[in-house]
Amino acid sequence: MTNQTKSQFIAVASITSELSAVMVVAKEISLAAANAKAIAFRAGDKAKGFQPITDFINELAKETIELVTNINIYALVLYRLTVNEFQKTTAYNKFELAAKMAESDGAVYANTMQGPVDHARLSMQDCQRQFKRDVSQLLGQLEAVMHHARAARVIAANSRIEASQAGEYLQSLQAVAESVDKAAHTIHDNVQRCRIALSIYRNS
Amino acid sequence: MKTTKIYEGTHQWIMFGRDEGKPSNIIDTNQYVVRTANRCLLLDPGGAELFAPMMAAVLHHAPVDQITDLFASHQDPDVISSLGLWDQALTNARLHAPAIWEGFLRHYSCESIEYVPIPDNGGTIKLESVELQIIPAHYLHSSGNFHVYDPQAKILMSGDVGAAFEAPDSPVFVDNFAVHVEKMRHWHQRMMPSNQAKRVWIERVRNLDIDILAPQHGRMFRGDDVKRFLDWFDALQVGIAV
Repeated sequence: MTNQTKSQFIAVASITSELSAVMVVAKEISLAAANAKAIAFRAGDKAKGFQPITDFINELAKETIELVTNINIYALVLYRLTVNEFQKTTAYNKFELAAKMAESDGAVYANTMQGPVDHARLSMQDCQRQFKRDVSQLLGQLEAVMHHARAARVIAANSRIEASQAGEYLQSLQAVAESVDKAAHTIHDNVQRCRIALSIYRNS
Repeated sequence: MKTTKIYEGTHQWIMFGRDEGKPSNIIDTNQYVVRTANRCLLLDPGGAELFAPMMAAVLHHAPVDQITDLFASHQDPDVISSLGLWDQALTNARLHAPAIWEGFLRHYSCESIEYVPIPDNGGTIKLESVELQIIPAHYLHSSGNFHVYDPQAKILMSGDVGAAFEAPDSPVFVDNFAVHVEKMRHWHQRMMPSNQAKRVWIERVRNLDIDILAPQHGRMFRGDDVKRFLDWFDALQVGIAV
């Protein structure tokens, strides 16, 4: 297995790992939204501005979970493609070696190996192209998650402002805002790592 | 890869083995080819490491598109881990292998090759006018195991039965049975799990007219050494690890 193939396997596997952490955090945001909604309800008029924010937070968490679920399916496809590419590359290298050995030994039918060699090369190149295409699409989906993370941070900032006007509920609502902000940071960082791991394959 | 023609008649049997380029840490294997006018059967085509030299050696005898059939006596990697590569190289081939191993062997990748499952009681492989018999050899050593008998050539390809391990440059036929016995003893006692399975196989094989007994490792037996081997194996206690 070449270093390039190893890195490719690691990159694809790391996406699944990073995204499972994102999924956990998104679920935490969803929980924070439910918690905030309950507090805002109890706070009544004092947290009037906070109430619609909780719906935003919840919606954002749901969308993030949905996106990550889709990306995970996509990452699995990418993993299978990596395995396929590895098999095709191995076959191509072995076929070429067999053809060379047969030719140098003067095998009567050495030239009949050319067909399988050509076919294996084309299959390998097809896989490589498909991998690059899929990586580009996956990067696009990851960008959408990043967008959600950025939106979550804006919401967290707004939440802090609204919380400051919530009287005795200030601390509880600030805690909600903090947890949303922290979660958004985590999502941003994890997804960013996925993007860095993959971006080298988009144009390689 | 050393090539030895062991039968020449209406069709040919060719033995391949003693590969000098083989990594030293993998087991040495014998591969066999049955060649008819337009088709070619590879018996226990070997591990993935062996694919290139094996293919190159076969190309002395047949073009790629005439390699139409593969046979795997059982599921071990030294027998058939090259399957995924043959699968990509051959566009119109069939793999004859034990039915019980189908789901396992497909892990090596078997997409374009047609898997022809061999039922427990064996069957036949028809290669143009040549009909080869698939002889059950279960538990010798694999629980789903077959050998191939050619009544015309009087050759029994006996898989791991008769196997021995020795130097890469050793002759392909046994030349001193008494000396050779010690190279086989531990293998058979340790790898063959069942005295009952062994007895049943010997009874079955004694009814066949065999000139050459061709194992997957080590040297082949011919002439009187075939009977000597069967007598020796008959008397041997196997399954010693329990």
